[in-house]
Amino acid sequence: MKNQVTKYYPMLPVLAAYAALFLIGRNMSGMWQLVAMLLFYCALGQAFNIFLGMTGYVDFGYVAFMGVGTYGMALAISRLAHIEGLGAGIIVIGFVLAVLMSTMLSIAVGAVALRLRGAYFAIATIGVNEGFRFLIEGARIWNGSEGIIFTAQLNQILGREAASALATFWADLFVLIIAVAAALVTLIYMRSKIGYALTALREDEDAAKVMGINVTKFKIIAFITSASFAGLVGASSWALKTPYVFPPEVFEIHYTIEAIIIVLLGGAGTLLGPLVGGLIYGISKYYLSIFIPGFQLLIFAPIIIVIIVVFPEGVVGMLKAKTRNTAAGRFIV
Amino acid sequence: MTLLQLDNVTKRFGGLVAVDHVSLEIDAGQFVGIVGPNGSGKTTLFNLISGVFFPEEGRIYFEGADITRMPPYKRAPLGIGRTFQIPRPFSSATVRENIAVGAMFGTLGKKLTVDDSMDVADQLIEKLDLTAHREKAAGTLTPVEKKLMEIGRALAMKPKLLLMDEAMAGMHPSDIDQMVAFTRQIAEEENISIVAMVEHIMRAVIGMAEKVIVLHQGAKLVDAPTQEALKDPKVVEVYLGGSGGR
Ligand SMILES: Nc1ncnc2c1ncn2[C@@H]1O[C@H](COP(=O)(O)OP(=O)(O)OP(=O)(O)O)[C@@H](O)[C@H]1O
Ligand SMILES: [Mg+2]
Repeated sequence: MKNQVTKYYPMLPVLAAYAALFLIGRNMSGMWQLVAMLLFYCALGQAFNIFLGMTGYVDFGYVAFMGVGTYGMALAISRLAHIEGLGAGIIVIGFVLAVLMSTMLSIAVGAVALRLRGAYFAIATIGVNEGFRFLIEGARIWNGSEGIIFTAQLNQILGREAASALATFWADLFVLIIAVAAALVTLIYMRSKIGYALTALREDEDAAKVMGINVTKFKIIAFITSASFAGLVGASSWALKTPYVFPPEVFEIHYTIEAIIIVLLGGAGTLLGPLVGGLIYGISKYYLSIFIPGFQLLIFAPIIIVIIVVFPEGVVGMLKAKTRNTAAGRFIV
Repeated sequence: MTLLQLDNVTKRFGGLVAVDHVSLEIDAGQFVGIVGPNGSGKTTLFNLISGVFFPEEGRIYFEGADITRMPPYKRAPLGIGRTFQIPRPFSSATVRENIAVGAMFGTLGKKLTVDDSMDVADQLIEKLDLTAHREKAAGTLTPVEKKLMEIGRALAMKPKLLLMDEAMAGMHPSDIDQMVAFTRQIAEEENISIVAMVEHIMRAVIGMAEKVIVLHQGAKLVDAPTQEALKDPKVVEVYLGGSGGR
């Protein structure tokens, strides 16, 4: 029994870090905006890590799951606003729809693409995002390129004040909760057979197979889990913060690139990595854009390269190796 | 009782016939040495049996059931374990975790929990004398230790058949002999058949084998009880003569 509890010790630093972020944001004036951005990057990293970090497969179409999650929330609010008495419940429906839609898309993509190995998978997924965007625009699905604007519906259901609180506070708090939930699921996976199967297939897929691991099954589990968290992040960080959705804004590959950088910076496949990576990435991006606006990328790219060269396993990957078999190591995974 | 049966199995890579109409039988609990010069198809044969590749022709039966096109992850729990010629550890995982993975996924019937698999791993680690390396990342082991760990990983699957592709550059032949002898001892206790690839026909291991199969350019040249095989002029010519004799 004690053993069962100690297994989850690594959640403590995760919870402490998110609590600290929350308190800083609430108590230091002018900080909430930065904290909200950091929460977004941490949640994004935490969600993507479940697939990218744990399987070692790179999905260049990842942002598509955030995109459909955003649509899930937008559709729920814009199409169901006329139903009486839903109130804030409409947001719950939006989250459910976001998860359903991102899950369905991930099953469709995964069933085909996850049969491919490594680099072939990566190449196959490059088209997913663009393809989906053109499908929505071309076939005029969900209003096509005009997108969905649901500011009015949100104001009507919740009232102006609550709608504004939703955008400036609650949406960010949801992102925090999603990040914590994604971290918890990561740790549960790590401690279960799923985690061992994923480590094995990430390190050597053929060896994993001949040891009895149904690699496709476990890749799909990781893919769907990761995608549904991405859908939730999209639904709250995008749809609830800015009550509209346009295809080119949500199906934007640079978010996938940011997510990859965060996971690698922090340490792919580690629990704390996405949090550390998200903080380093978000803080540098924020201050670089204040001090040297316009030039941030010029400085940013070399910094990222240096960090990745110095810590090929990511910051947490390095810490984890250093603290192996020490007391601190029990908290750093 | 026949455990494994290959019936006219052929595997081609492009124009190259890596395994050429090979038929063979392995009995339960039998220890078989497999020899052949470089490129004669030994590893490919193991890959066909463990399911890494499917053959173009012929059939493979395990305990009477046709497994010719069964995916590898389904064969493992039936009782087919293997090691790799070049060790393939799950590098970032510890030795204990590597071995536990075998118990977790590779055993038949009721699946073991993570904790029970760790117990199985601990027992094997002790048997294999790997205690000092238990919590090390597998990638940091020496080649010999990796080899031992792979044996542990395969034994954790409770195999009925253990394929040991044990050739290894840089490893002292007497170390290999010792390792195989030791594995054989465990196998005898648990009635595991071993098909061990043996680099050199003069090695001590061959003496322990009940039978020897000689491959040459993908085809089975000899399949006979050890003493007979060693005297076979074809073996002497192909294996000790021109190409492989050192
Ligand atoms: N995946 C592959 N693709 C193409 N050709 C292959 C592949 N695997 C093996 N071969 C070829 O098949 C033939 C048999 O190779 P195999 O590895 O089975 O020999 P081996 O008896 O194990 O040799 P060694 O003693 O060097 O380990 C060789 O000519 C090899 O080049
Ligand atoms: Mg070989």
